[in-house]
Amino acid sequence: MIGPRGGVKGGARRLAGMGLLAALVLLGPGGPAARGAEPALDADLAVAEPSDYRFEPYRAPTPATLAGAQVLSTAQAEALWRAKGAVFVDVLPRPPRPANLPAGTLWRDLPHDSIPGSAWLPNVGFGALDGASQRYFEDGLTALTGGDRHRLVVLFCLKDCWMSWNAAKRALAGGFDRVAWFPEGVDGWKAAGLPLERLEPWQPGPAR
Amino acid sequence: MENVLRPRRAWGLPLIALTLLAAPAARAAEADGPAAVVEPKETTWSAIAPDVFPEQVVGDAEGVVALAAPTRAEDAALVPLTVSLSLPPGDPRSFKGVTVVIDENPSPVAGRFSFGDGQKDFALSLRTRVNSYSYVRAIAETNDGKLHMAKAYVKAAGGCSAPATKDTADSIAHLGDIRFRSFADAGKNEAQVQIRHPNFSGLQMDEATRGYTPAWFVREVKVTQGGHLLLGMEGGISISEDPTFRFSYKASAEPVTVRAEDTEGKVFTRTFPGGGS
Repeated sequence: MIGPRGGVKGGARRLAGMGLLAALVLLGPGGPAARGAEPALDADLAVAEPSDYRFEPYRAPTPATLAGAQVLSTAQAEALWRAKGAVFVDVLPRPPRPANLPAGTLWRDLPHDSIPGSAWLPNVGFGALDGASQRYFEDGLTALTGGDRHRLVVLFCLKDCWMSWNAAKRALAGGFDRVAWFPEGVDGWKAAGLPLERLEPWQPGPAR
Repeated sequence: MENVLRPRRAWGLPLIALTLLAAPAARAAEADGPAAVVEPKETTWSAIAPDVFPEQVVGDAEGVVALAAPTRAEDAALVPLTVSLSLPPGDPRSFKGVTVVIDENPSPVAGRFSFGDGQKDFALSLRTRVNSYSYVRAIAETNDGKLHMAKAYVKAAGGCSAPATKDTADSIAHLGDIRFRSFADAGKNEAQVQIRHPNFSGLQMDEATRGYTPAWFVREVKVTQGGHLLLGMEGGISISEDPTFRFSYKASAEPVTVRAEDTEGKVFTRTFPGGGS
């Protein structure tokens, strides 16, 4: 088994979690299980991985890979989730209520059902972030991982959405070295009949 | 940044008993079956209706209101809707107004439209933003206080957040320009009003500032003729750029005045010939 870079302590914690599973299959990127879970991509339809962050349109077919990150099928994501083996982060965007709407304007934040136990960090998957959004993303990941940049982090939103691809790339750039991208996201999760849970966006806690 | 440069093989996912792999696939097959033919749920409407029409019962269309909308929108930022209001001959009622609701937009009330007294037959076309697959509704109010609803399901996505375009810059350059046109010469009892305005929804990402472009839109329009209200609108973020309304209008010599006010308090007014004799 390839050890995480988090040192003995983190590795031991993860191993304990994995004890739940009867048989362990080591999955390297592009290993047999990963290939089997992904439908064969027609070479003509395959989307090339861009070298930089992706801008509009975000809802479009995504590449099969993200350099530096593991790509998860729904089955792999489910197994990780059952093993409590990772921090799951949903990056579905949700625009905040504009500050200057006329008084009395009805506003309804769209409810969002996602993978139970995951944290929702909206609006961190754009091609570029302003300072506040970048801080929110960094603070969120730091809090959710307890500051351990070797924790396995799974980023997702919806199928055919580049926001999760961007966010996973951004997590790598932020120094997280075990980043997984789950491209099917909530759509794949739902299609597999897996449970969902209503989420509210993650809020920074009081300063410690 | 060194992480990006490291080979992808840097770590492996410890995981997955093969027995776990089979189950989700079977569930997925079951889930795909019957779901395709089910009519979309009314969950959102149930949640918002009490806020849109507090303490009012929303009745069926009862033949007095109809709504035409594309099943699948070509451009989610420009979804054309046509509302038709019509009372049968001899019906003593008239229409007070009609509210257009787009359930899944974060600000679901697209606009509340009103007209002068005695309106019994009225058609209105407008262009809207539809942010995700959504029911669109036209709820007409008759002067007996009753509400009558027609609905359509529109497959569109991203209309409220579609980024600004070159056209948007043009709208700003011509901010507040108003056009009015009567179609009497084409043999139609219709007129069209257009107000040049970017009508920013507040949900559009500006990639230069990397933040949301603040909401800025036409919040009120009044089209009047000789003191009579032809069309009034209180609009929200779901009305498309360059708000354009085509509506029932019988041309006369009397001038028509269009007054529009936006969310910054800017007022645009212009008076046009009525287009008739």
